[in-house]
Amino acid sequence: MTTFLEVVQVCLGFGAALLLVRAWKGPDLVDRIVALDLVLLMLAGALAAEAARTGSPFFVAAVIVVALIAFAGTILVARFVEWRDVP
Amino acid sequence: MSPAETLGAVVISTGVVLSLIAAWGLLSFPTALARMHAAGKPASLGLVLTGFGAGLAAESVPLTVLGAVLAFFMFLTAPISAHMLGRAAYQAGQAPNLHHDDLAGVTLPADVAPRPGERSISGWHLIPLVIIWVVLWRDAGIGVWVGGLLAGLLVELIRRTGRPNGTFRPGAMLVFLVRYSGMIVASNARVAWEVITPGSQIREAIVAVPLRSDSLRVALLVANAITHTPGTLTVELTEDPLVVYVHLLHFKSVESARSDVARLEDLVCHALNEPVPV
Repeated sequence: MTTFLEVVQVCLGFGAALLLVRAWKGPDLVDRIVALDLVLLMLAGALAAEAARTGSPFFVAAVIVVALIAFAGTILVARFVEWRDVP
Repeated sequence: MSPAETLGAVVISTGVVLSLIAAWGLLSFPTALARMHAAGKPASLGLVLTGFGAGLAAESVPLTVLGAVLAFFMFLTAPISAHMLGRAAYQAGQAPNLHHDDLAGVTLPADVAPRPGERSISGWHLIPLVIIWVVLWRDAGIGVWVGGLLAGLLVELIRRTGRPNGTFRPGAMLVFLVRYSGMIVASNARVAWEVITPGSQIREAIVAVPLRSDSLRVALLVANAITHTPGTLTVELTEDPLVVYVHLLHFKSVESARSDVARLEDLVCHALNEPVPV
């Protein structure tokens, strides 16, 4: 089980690397936000796997916090993108 | 390995595959709005499945509850962020090659004024809710406080959107939720297929769909459900009259898009006990 969960974490890390390529390429700010939002969701998934691997309740709270930060951050920057051209 | 562990491993694997498909779709889809289809659907379901699967695999109750919390959270937030980003992308001119565009030339109001009778989120409601939460957990750790704050905000948000006499039909709600879950699975399968077979039939368009109901909560749930259905994404919602602007990944015709949304609206009206428009 432990090995399987470690493989899961490596896979999610690989996905995050793909997303970072998109964040690097852009072309628009919106694309970068979407990519970074998904990086945080991948991190949350990896933390859930970590919680199962170690059995520590700390990671349960961490998953929720990371998912929440991803959501709040995305909304915030999307709002900024909409208003950036308004003087 | 116990049966629960095996099941958990299968569920986690599905979640990870969906997450990877979302990542690959984000890399390979041609336009910003198409990429949002890849991001909004498989990534959130992938995280939910990973959380659930981890709970099953560890045979731990708190982790399984976490999966349920994540599912509810993603159900609420994934369409919101997809909608906000879709709107921002459209306004930034990141939507080329549209086969049909009803949003062109529409001037949108800068901000929506609160409706009469709409209540704001008040701290006086929030504080007791948080305290009740902490007392029920019988633990005053930082995580419990944060959780209580989130749960309280959620209750306040629901109270704010619902009318004072807002009701729903449990049976019809169940029908809606079952159909809705089916839609989520179908939409994920479709986006996943689109990612795996590149260069296929993407025909993007934005279609304006006037809603026949005048209830704000129907509009909210319809807009949410559109984002979860196969190949569609809510980009904009205007009030007076209520019109949703839907971005389609596989555009066939304006009529077929409108009749799809009308079917969804009927389901939602039944579930929320609102008069079904004719």
